[in-house]
Amino acid sequence: MPWIKREKAEKIKEWFPSIKITQYKDNIFLEIEKKEVKNLLKFLKESPDYSFKMFIDFTCVDYPLHNPRFQGVYILYSPEFKERIGVKTWATDDSLPTITDLWKGAKWAEREAYDMFGIKFEGHENLVRMFMWETYPYFPLRKDFPKEGIKDTYLPSLNEPEGSYPSHDYDPYHTAIPTLEDLEITQKARMPEKKAQIVLNWGPLHPGTHGTIWFIFDLEGETVKNCEIILGQLHRGIEKLSEDITYTQVIPYTDRMDYISAICSNVAYVNAVEKLLDIEVPEKAKWIRTMLCELQRINSHLLWLGTFALDLGALTIFLYTFREREKIMDIIEGIAGIRLNSTYMRIGGVRMDLPEGALDVINHFIKDFPSKIKEYEDILTKNRIWLKRNIGLGIIKEEDVYDYGITGVVARGSGVPYDIRMLDPTDAYDKVDFEIPLGTVGDCYDRYLVRMEEMRQSLEIIKQCVKKLQELKDDKYLATDNPYVLPTLEETFNSIEAMVKDFNLRIYGEQAPEGEIYSSGENPRGELGFYIVSKGEGKPYRLRIRSGAFYNLQIFPELIKGRTVADAVVLLGSLDPVVGETDR
Amino acid sequence: MKELILISIGIGIKSLIFIIGMFLLAAYLTLIERKFAGHVQQRPGPLHVGFHGLLQPIADALKVLTKEDIVPNFVDKYLFYLASLMAFVPAIMILAVIPFGEPINIFGYEIKPYISDVNVGLILALAFGSISIYGVIFAGWASNSKYPMIGGLRKAAVLIGYEVALGFALVGPIMLAGTFSLREIVEAQQGFFGAFIWYQPLAFIVFLFSILAETGRTPFDVQEAEAELVAGYNTEYSGMKFGLFPLAEWYIATFVLSAIAVILFFGGWNGPHIFGPISPYIWFLAKLFLVFMFLLWVHWTLPRYRVDQITEIAWKVMLPLTFINIFITAIIVIIKG
Repeated sequence: MPWIKREKAEKIKEWFPSIKITQYKDNIFLEIEKKEVKNLLKFLKESPDYSFKMFIDFTCVDYPLHNPRFQGVYILYSPEFKERIGVKTWATDDSLPTITDLWKGAKWAEREAYDMFGIKFEGHENLVRMFMWETYPYFPLRKDFPKEGIKDTYLPSLNEPEGSYPSHDYDPYHTAIPTLEDLEITQKARMPEKKAQIVLNWGPLHPGTHGTIWFIFDLEGETVKNCEIILGQLHRGIEKLSEDITYTQVIPYTDRMDYISAICSNVAYVNAVEKLLDIEVPEKAKWIRTMLCELQRINSHLLWLGTFALDLGALTIFLYTFREREKIMDIIEGIAGIRLNSTYMRIGGVRMDLPEGALDVINHFIKDFPSKIKEYEDILTKNRIWLKRNIGLGIIKEEDVYDYGITGVVARGSGVPYDIRMLDPTDAYDKVDFEIPLGTVGDCYDRYLVRMEEMRQSLEIIKQCVKKLQELKDDKYLATDNPYVLPTLEETFNSIEAMVKDFNLRIYGEQAPEGEIYSSGENPRGELGFYIVSKGEGKPYRLRIRSGAFYNLQIFPELIKGRTVADAVVLLGSLDPVVGETDR
Repeated sequence: MKELILISIGIGIKSLIFIIGMFLLAAYLTLIERKFAGHVQQRPGPLHVGFHGLLQPIADALKVLTKEDIVPNFVDKYLFYLASLMAFVPAIMILAVIPFGEPINIFGYEIKPYISDVNVGLILALAFGSISIYGVIFAGWASNSKYPMIGGLRKAAVLIGYEVALGFALVGPIMLAGTFSLREIVEAQQGFFGAFIWYQPLAFIVFLFSILAETGRTPFDVQEAEAELVAGYNTEYSGMKFGLFPLAEWYIATFVLSAIAVILFFGGWNGPHIFGPISPYIWFLAKLFLVFMFLLWVHWTLPRYRVDQITEIAWKVMLPLTFINIFITAIIVIIKG
């Protein structure tokens, strides 16, 4: 993504003389004191010269030795000028002004910051925790909170008698876990008043929720009067964990966020790190990445189509899509060695070269797949039941997209051409030819059509990648000349320099220069951004993951009001969140 | 007196045969459905128990019968037990009025392949069908839980709409045949072009929709829309109490209603006598299975409607259609005399 130009950023000083501009690579951040930050954000949003209308992300960074301790970071996007800007401010007295009146999408981000850092937001309508339960006493992402948690809950073993030597490595004290009362308190806090007849707990474990999302519906008959979402059942604290491991070690964690499109998350992450470390990736690796990303996108959209149709009662489509998904899984397994969480990407390239025959298999798939898409469309696209269930449901307007920071297919379904592949082409996306399908109305049916068309476009991209890769047969796939890049296994075993380099990188990590970077990739669920703050160590000082599904899900309670439970299934399916990514 | 005892014994034996036969048939209908669904979805279906899964229904039945029967503490016990019977018994009772063929003579005894031929057979069948709604509503209410409650209410809303449409749809064939007796309705349809499907296409369409709605098959399976309501009204049930619901709804009711459809619209057991003395039965079963398979086909292809859309179709489309049908039929009957 092109960031705002330095000269243009300097001009903001005319209105706000107190701002400081920091730049790392092309990432430009404005720093301003707390009392001015809201005015600045308002100015950036409303001034016609800048018009940063779209909210991308908000997060905090903890500097325990600095006073004030926490720094808030806002990232905005201007759809008009197609550029990004970052705004930073110090949270004096551990509090910041809320910006939910400027962008509604900041609601959950601010709650998350409160949950993880304990920063208060003045004026926030319901500042409760985002992922943890309400009675949880700590703020996990603070630097003084240990990675392994604080073991304060006495949980004796059921089969180890007390006082005896335990038969295995076992500690009667455990990190805090929520009790039923805690969960009840949490539920009350999230939905303080019951307005209608029954409160229906839809989830956390429910076949319709695609994972462990906990919805609370306040129902009048079957009509939803009020809805709240409790996230956090799959919260694993990936952001916290990655503060203690090297950049390479974070890659497997990115797999486990959006497990349905693991390779896309991999690529988004390694691209961010490569930008931070200034690594030039070999041509071949770029094409392999692009190809696999698109395969993964088809894979993810197939899973979406199957489960979406399953939610609407069409059981058979589910198995039809899994038939094709299985073929892609086999291709990915053949290339990466693992089906689901492949960790195939490496900083500076890919882990292994393409195996012999991989391209032939993909070629076969390319020939075969269009007829299958036609099969799905024959059953669904003009099906009257399908139309009746989808059309007019969950209409997201263009302003909503900017307001809530909605990205990915959901944004494109509403006619907003926001696609990172086009705006900020990484890998080989600037060399391939493809179209971005756009919706017109922004309802569930448009999102369905956009996803179907995207599968076709992905197939086009794969075709071009395969053609190019056939030419690049004997190229390098990993930039091992770069000091930051791990050598291949073969090199490690055959040369002492590579062995030493491997050892150093594995033990001490990639010694990244000091700086901060925000880079994102187009995940099937939306923009997956990584905000990395480096303090010149082998591990990230702070790694913020901007999840597309998290922001897309945020609009759900608004859209479902006045509709029925049956609509909730359809709407949720068309927003297509993956809980691994929303909760991280 | 002796006559009466003999008749009761005869009916008793016949009922027993019908009920046991229906049980076995329902068990094997599950296999047919699973095989069919499997092949629709490009998978083989049950394969391992017996030759191509032929013993699978028996294994399933044993499993479901020996399963622990969990009754949650919070349920209304009386209604909870009653509900599964209320769903099952009326469905199987419809069998009492369904004729499977003409009376035949074996060793001088006249054997009627039906339990009774009452002159209001069709109305009786409708009445039994309506009673089975109580099973669903009781199950939803007695479970004392939110999802079954919503499922039960949904089913009630759907059934009320379609019972009315169904009742009016049957008026057309009845007017043509001039009788409520199912056997006489079959006798009124002689020859290939005598079948009422040619004269009552509207009634047949409404009837087909009603079967789908009454038996809770897609696109009308809102009462147990698993993505929305987990399992709908039978969420809290387990073991055979649970097993009775799908058995009654998906198999026995579908089978019986298909049989009525065949009798009303496809000329029942009428057909060329090419299989010798058993050809009426073969024709009847062949037609019945065609209708049944059609319902399966619909079930495994289409997505489902929302509940308000279903009731909308019932009241705004199906009911007016039946009225039009009755009107047209009445005019034709009057003209023809």
